[in-house]
Amino acid sequence: MAGILAPGLGVLAHLERLENQTSRSRKRSEAQAQERVLGTKIQKLRHLRDDPRAALWHRRGSVKACIANVEPNRTVEVNEQEALEEKLENVKAILQAYHFTGLSGKLTSRGVCVCINTAFEGNLLDSYFVDLVIQKPLRIHHHSVPVFIPLEEIAAKYLQTNIQHFLFSLCEYLNAYSGRKYQADRLQSDFAALLTGPLQRNPLCNLLSFTYKLDPGGQSFPFCARLLYKDLTATLPTDVTVTCQGGEALSTSWEEQRASHETLFCTKPLHQVFASFARREKLEMSLVS
Amino acid sequence: MDETVAEFIKRTILKIPLNELTTILKAWDFLSENQLQTVNFRQRKESVVQHLIHLCEEKRASLNDAALLDIIYTQFHQHQKVWDVFQMSKGPGEDVDLFDMKQFKNSFKKILQRALKNVTVSFRETEENAVWIRIAWGTQYTKPNQYKPTYVVYYSQTPYAFKSSSTLRRNTPLLGQALTVASKHHQIVKMDLRSRYLDSLKAIVFKQYNQTFETHNSATPLQERSLGLDINMDSRIIHENIVEKERVQRITQETFGDYPQPQLEFAQYKLETKFKSDLNGSILAEREEPLRCLIKFSSPHLLEALKSLAPAGIADAPLSPLLTCIPNKRKNYFKIRDK
Repeated sequence: MAGILAPGLGVLAHLERLENQTSRSRKRSEAQAQERVLGTKIQKLRHLRDDPRAALWHRRGSVKACIANVEPNRTVEVNEQEALEEKLENVKAILQAYHFTGLSGKLTSRGVCVCINTAFEGNLLDSYFVDLVIQKPLRIHHHSVPVFIPLEEIAAKYLQTNIQHFLFSLCEYLNAYSGRKYQADRLQSDFAALLTGPLQRNPLCNLLSFTYKLDPGGQSFPFCARLLYKDLTATLPTDVTVTCQGGEALSTSWEEQRASHETLFCTKPLHQVFASFARREKLEMSLVS
Repeated sequence: MDETVAEFIKRTILKIPLNELTTILKAWDFLSENQLQTVNFRQRKESVVQHLIHLCEEKRASLNDAALLDIIYTQFHQHQKVWDVFQMSKGPGEDVDLFDMKQFKNSFKKILQRALKNVTVSFRETEENAVWIRIAWGTQYTKPNQYKPTYVVYYSQTPYAFKSSSTLRRNTPLLGQALTVASKHHQIVKMDLRSRYLDSLKAIVFKQYNQTFETHNSATPLQERSLGLDINMDSRIIHENIVEKERVQRITQETFGDYPQPQLEFAQYKLETKFKSDLNGSILAEREEPLRCLIKFSSPHLLEALKSLAPAGIADAPLSPLLTCIPNKRKNYFKIRDK
């Protein structure tokens, strides 16, 4: 407490001190509150990370216990060699797990080799590599991207200015291409019975043309479908035309079917549409018989 | 069967070496298995050919069938031709390429037929999304010459096409136009790249000459390259310039990599430069016009030869970037002028 020697000053100084004290304590409590929030966030993230890890360790532990039970003579002592091997396996597994992120890379002597792993509907599909040389200007040394993917165009737009954008754009194109290819392949392999002619496709799988029947061997007219995928970053078509090969004026039920098929092809992946056709057919058959 | 078609098939089959004959005939898929089984391929070639022609007559081979056989023969003997590379470009803001093979073929054929009336156009698709096009050229008044066709290999939904060099240069603009319009591009330009080896050209153009990539899963760690020196060599023998040798090896490996180089037969440099000299007043230094000269490097396998120059001690490492930039710049014809 300041003396009463200089009362005016003393009071003001005291007031200032009190003001500082409150602002400091306010700042402190704010910081503490933030700390608490971040603390809980860190804990949550740690849980997210550790839970699968814990599960993995648990499973490992239980596997080891099983082995120990099966071979009761084997002692489960963790010597140094085993510990190192486990670490190595762990690291290898983590590196492999990068595949599931879709985009990974490895430093090379002259730059980086980027690996793009494509997927569609939870299925891991082809992987593509791009080997980049880190020089001015940044350039692509060699790659395994299919020749019809517009890699040069994407590189011309983004490689020099924004490498992240370049990689994400390339990922988009490749994933979409893989997805379209997957749908076309599935159609050819799984639903050949419903097709009345060969599937016409082009390298990018962005123009598909085929004829199909809902009841193979039946009397109905086949439908002709033409799917255009004008958006190369999409796995669903942008334009669909379904026509009936009958040539004569369609009855209203056929017209309804035709229109509904057009909508189906626009909204669902190709092989799923055909799967629903096959299911419907099976259902109708079972109802009839 | 037309006399000319019969003659054409006969001459094509005569070109095929006996050990390739069955493979090519099977790829042609025109004569049936049964028909082929009746042929004794161990006879003298003339007899085999006669028998085959007889079978073709029975099946009434058309000009188209004969042209297809010619395409297959050329596919098996690609390096008998010299291939040029063409690059097409689209206009700005053009639509996405919705390539339709049927439409392309029709359009291409129509453009040529409209211009020349007499022209034979045949197509054969391959598994690598490439279409081989064979064009036999005629004029308004003469029938197409089947013995001097031009081949074009077009990779659909890419801007690139490869064309066999021919002496009939006057049809090149028309061919370029047909290709450009049919594939929905705007412009076509000839690249400064040429070779007999179509696979190598493809690898260079599409930047796919090295199909090994470093991943975390690759089993081989970065190893020290052995210098080709015998590890069992007597320890009393020391190489004087081992440091220099290692440096050369390292630089060569960085420049050329570990993979097999694409195959080219030559690199050509046209120089147009003014004479540069330290001496003042020399006649050549005063010359206004640049000096012109042409330097050509030839080899059965140019890039491998260049790669071996420094390790063999014939050239200094690093090599001139004019030589090492060939795959990267996608050219083996260079024009060098004063800046």
